[in-house]
Amino acid sequence: MKVGLVSPYDYTHPGGVGNHIRHLSHWLRQLGHEVRVFAPSGRKDAEREIPDFYRIGRAISLPMNNSVARISLSFHLARRVNDILARERFDVLHFHEPLMPALPLTLLRMSKAPHVGTFHAFAKSNLGYYYGRPILSSYVRHLHQSIAVSEPARDFISHYFAQVRPHVVPNGVDVEYFRPGQAPIRHLRDDRINVLFVGRLEKRKGLRDLLRGFMYLRSRVEKSRLIIVGEGPLRKDVESFISQQRLPDVVLAGAVPDTVLPRYHSSADIFCAPATGRESFGIVLLEAMAAALPIVATEIPGYLSVLQPGVDSLTVRPKSPIELGVALTVLARDIDLRRRMGQAGLVKSHRYAWPVVTGRVIQVYEQARAARAERPQDREQPEELMPGVHYPLPNLG
Amino acid sequence: MIQYRAFLTLQWVMERLPRGLAYALAIVVARLAFVFARGARSALADNLRAARPEATAAEIRTLTYRNFRYHSKAYADLMRLPTASVEDLRPLMDTQGLEHLEAALARRRGVLVVSAHMGSWEVAAAIWSATIAPVSLFAEVLEPKEMYAWYRQTRARLGISVLPLNQAGLRQVLRALNNNEMVVTAVDRDFTGTGVETTMFGRPVRIPHGPAAIAVRRGTPLLPVCVLRQRDDRYLAIGWPPIFAKDSGDAEADVRWVVERLVAHLEEIIRAHPEQWHMPHRLWPAQAQARSGTLEL
Repeated sequence: MKVGLVSPYDYTHPGGVGNHIRHLSHWLRQLGHEVRVFAPSGRKDAEREIPDFYRIGRAISLPMNNSVARISLSFHLARRVNDILARERFDVLHFHEPLMPALPLTLLRMSKAPHVGTFHAFAKSNLGYYYGRPILSSYVRHLHQSIAVSEPARDFISHYFAQVRPHVVPNGVDVEYFRPGQAPIRHLRDDRINVLFVGRLEKRKGLRDLLRGFMYLRSRVEKSRLIIVGEGPLRKDVESFISQQRLPDVVLAGAVPDTVLPRYHSSADIFCAPATGRESFGIVLLEAMAAALPIVATEIPGYLSVLQPGVDSLTVRPKSPIELGVALTVLARDIDLRRRMGQAGLVKSHRYAWPVVTGRVIQVYEQARAARAERPQDREQPEELMPGVHYPLPNLG
Repeated sequence: MIQYRAFLTLQWVMERLPRGLAYALAIVVARLAFVFARGARSALADNLRAARPEATAAEIRTLTYRNFRYHSKAYADLMRLPTASVEDLRPLMDTQGLEHLEAALARRRGVLVVSAHMGSWEVAAAIWSATIAPVSLFAEVLEPKEMYAWYRQTRARLGISVLPLNQAGLRQVLRALNNNEMVVTAVDRDFTGTGVETTMFGRPVRIPHGPAAIAVRRGTPLLPVCVLRQRDDRYLAIGWPPIFAKDSGDAEADVRWVVERLVAHLEEIIRAHPEQWHMPHRLWPAQAQARSGTLEL
């Protein structure tokens, strides 16, 4: 099959959707499919450096879902896209966040190939979807099959667009890469209990709660350490919190490259994911499970779709530093419990291995092709993008 | 603490500058240090006189200044590590004798990379850790301790472990070697005062015996490597054939034999590149300098 993967986000900028596409394209190729990727990029040389990549538009930063998304707002690229579509003749176009401006929306209207859309995001509400419903509904019609990465993500999208009935296909994890027994960072692997956090340093990831939870842990288990992997706007706040509270045992590791990240997992004893909400899935949890780490996480829908509390994790209410601290202390004091939960997670993570996930995605591709073949050829003439139409931006709250 | 603040400020600037400008700034800093850090300057000059006894006072002075410049650039590399990526660094490094490293790793007993305080290790260690085998640096603890913490975290981001020269560090070294990893250590200065007494450049010194002892006990290959900065600021990593310890039954004599071979090797490399031997600490008491009869710089 010839597959086009479409992303609204800057492909050369680190991010969940970009990583997802990189892995999916790798495994699709492994299974003998041809893959092209469409995405905006802030780097002009991206097209030369990444094979089979079409750079469509530049990327600008917009605040979104309490985070920052780098998307393209270039709507004027219709001709270039049209030429590529005519030349490549895709068997399937797979859109990630299909209702995001501008690239997925543009392509969705212009292409006549079978379309699959994957909805990654999840939030309490999405003003863009809400106000954009009248216009976006006409786009949704062009999706032949859709995928949500978790039940919460599925319910979220169905809430706005009743006609969308996504399959739930989870995110994948690279189990070759995240596995127990990678060489640890030796100076972190001493007699201390290491708690690992991985994520962007931003408000919704619950860092403040984690730091307070860690203070609780440290007052009970003296030989403990918190390792924070990631960069982000809250870095300064975290640094000043550490120096105010005199917490010498917090390591701010910064933005660790993907090649080194599994070695941080090997250096840790407990993984902690304290996000306060709006996580659709939690790839970091799968990675931790694949590295056989027991998990302490908050009870938010996205995490609970992956975790089995009490089996592979201890879960606590969001925004509750004391509960986090208690759960961390329980695990820090009980090596058998850590081992048991780690093993349970390891076993489960293999159900999310990329080859398994890719197989399910391909099934959805086949269904989309069947659905496309059944539908009347309702769009024989390619539609022009309407000039002057105001395209809504989802959730600028 | 003031030292650390100054370091962080300079580091903040360095990591935001393009590489060329960062080096230009490093040269300015080197010039200032050359003028104001008199202790370091005269200690380094004395060490260089040992390595190059035939050099005139003027030559030593030039050499000392060039050494300061190279040292300052090595610090610039360190300060730029937090924003560095291995993909960007890789094209900057040339290697010779990489096959010795690969052959040594193939024996699966770990590799002890032995070197002097020389050249610019930041880049080579980062690249090897990402592409060949995890790297640990077995090195002296820096002062102040905030700076040491910074240094460790910066290295760790690139997958490099930094282990202190003490029992706990040694245990970690052995663990790393058991896992067939690389451990890098410099043997030209004895920090613990327990080294083997021998001579370097004809003067009495103590040389750390740890690496030699590990080689004798475990059969770990000792791989002499040096990473030099070239004139165009690219790096050249040179590896030599590994040294294996003999087993004569007399462990002490075996250790001494290894240490002497290492020293002979170091002498050769340092003589060839004295401008990159960053040793601004007295290895010999000041009278050695008086005896040599040269002026203070």
